[in-house]
Amino acid sequence: MPIQGLEILQSSASLRGQGTGLRVLPTVSKYIDTTTCIGCKACEVACQEWNDLDVAATHQEGSYQTLPTMQADFWNLIRFHEEEFEGGLAWLMRKDQCMHCADPGCLKACPAPGAIVQYANGIVDVNPENCIGCGLCETGCPFDVPRFSTKTGKMAKCTLCVDRVDNGLEPACIKACPTGCLHFGTKEDMVEMGNSRVKQLQANGFPNAMLYDPAGVGGTTVVTVLAHGDRPELYGLPKDPHIPMAVASKSILKPLGLFAIGATIVGLFAHFLTVGQKKPADDNPPRAGG
Amino acid sequence: MAQAVSPPNVGHADPAVAVARHAEDVVVGDRIVRHSLASRAMHWTVGTSFILCFLTGMPIWTPIFGWMAYLFGGLQVCRWLHPFLGVLFSVGLVWMAASWWTQMVMSSRDREWLSPAYFARYMRFQSTDPETGKYNGGQKALFWMTLLGGLALFLSGVVLWFPTMLPEPLREISWILHDVAFIAFFLLIIGHVYLAIAEPGTFESQLDGTVSKPWARLHHPRWYREVTGEQRK
Repeated sequence: MPIQGLEILQSSASLRGQGTGLRVLPTVSKYIDTTTCIGCKACEVACQEWNDLDVAATHQEGSYQTLPTMQADFWNLIRFHEEEFEGGLAWLMRKDQCMHCADPGCLKACPAPGAIVQYANGIVDVNPENCIGCGLCETGCPFDVPRFSTKTGKMAKCTLCVDRVDNGLEPACIKACPTGCLHFGTKEDMVEMGNSRVKQLQANGFPNAMLYDPAGVGGTTVVTVLAHGDRPELYGLPKDPHIPMAVASKSILKPLGLFAIGATIVGLFAHFLTVGQKKPADDNPPRAGG
Repeated sequence: MAQAVSPPNVGHADPAVAVARHAEDVVVGDRIVRHSLASRAMHWTVGTSFILCFLTGMPIWTPIFGWMAYLFGGLQVCRWLHPFLGVLFSVGLVWMAASWWTQMVMSSRDREWLSPAYFARYMRFQSTDPETGKYNGGQKALFWMTLLGGLALFLSGVVLWFPTMLPEPLREISWILHDVAFIAFFLLIIGHVYLAIAEPGTFESQLDGTVSKPWARLHHPRWYREVTGEQRK
């Protein structure tokens, strides 16, 4: 849903956004502390409710996880993972959702002008009106987040409740969290909170604790505290996410291809002017009956 | 091959055009039938479906060509329509392969056409190998490269049609392949269309199917001798 009041920093398949810089907005951020998450799924319910998403049919897969992955009408999924460590079994839970990258692969991949926008406050949003449902954003996303909706023929993902945020409210999931493992504020504040929590964890038997804010995608608007930060893949997170090669190659292939096509046309026109046409000397065919 | 077919008493003021509906490689009066109706229908199935693929694909490739989308009703329509047009193009290519496969087998002499020296001489319109048959080395090479490019576009296109159902690496490879194959193929097609303009009489052979005798003697000397029965001078 495009929010009129928010400045657009970047827009898909467009030369530039519409940010004038006149209205200075703090970059917002969502803080997720996996170490205090109890897996209650209040955030899942709040997300479905606020965004008017259908109730997804769950199925038992030997886990407490609601669904195997996110869906076009299920944007907020608590992932459950059991892992054997030296000290015993760890039950790792992480709230999975769109990470709202500072350098969004989905937006870079999108061929439809204005279908994916990044607001000046850092939120990356899909504008269904302009979406053509090609699915390239899913290929461009290093976190496998956007989903194609067979109902609407469009892509869908977490909006970071931009409609709430723009009205001074926190996202629905944050509001619902009972343990305070979710927080919402400026990116600066959330990073500071995360770093102090990481220090606390490191001093208390989790030497590899880290704040997940990967530089490969310019940092993420959603920052996550991981107790086992040396192995983010245990939480379903890539260790060093980057925008895929195919998306990056567009910035080379497009100008190169356009140049080659243009140069060929110009070259052949020059050929026409200099070499001319290849005609038989005696070709002046009187057509029978013509 | 040497006998001329007498024009049937039907249908068209120009007997050559009437013959071209069902035959090719025959002399009718002072015209030679080069492409039968079936060949031309095949050629234009490939040609028009490619143009439609081009018009619906370019606005998805880059917004510079976004205006093309409005010819079809917008970018959403293009995303829906482009794959079906791609299937039509692929069907056309299968038809083309079936029609021309044996005629397009390249001899070692044809391969010489592709040497930079011969190609440069050809493009200066200076000489034609007197042994050039119905299709020259360049035309035969274009046929094979079209089939190769078409295969690449089809396979990658199917993946891009249903991206969310297929694994990530396949989607990425297909995306790059579709772009690269298109650029390479389109450059060939620009050359193909240009030669139809720069060599008058050529385009007509794809309209009514006939060419003049001097055209045939100039561009395809061996084919000319074969269909007319004239000896090499």
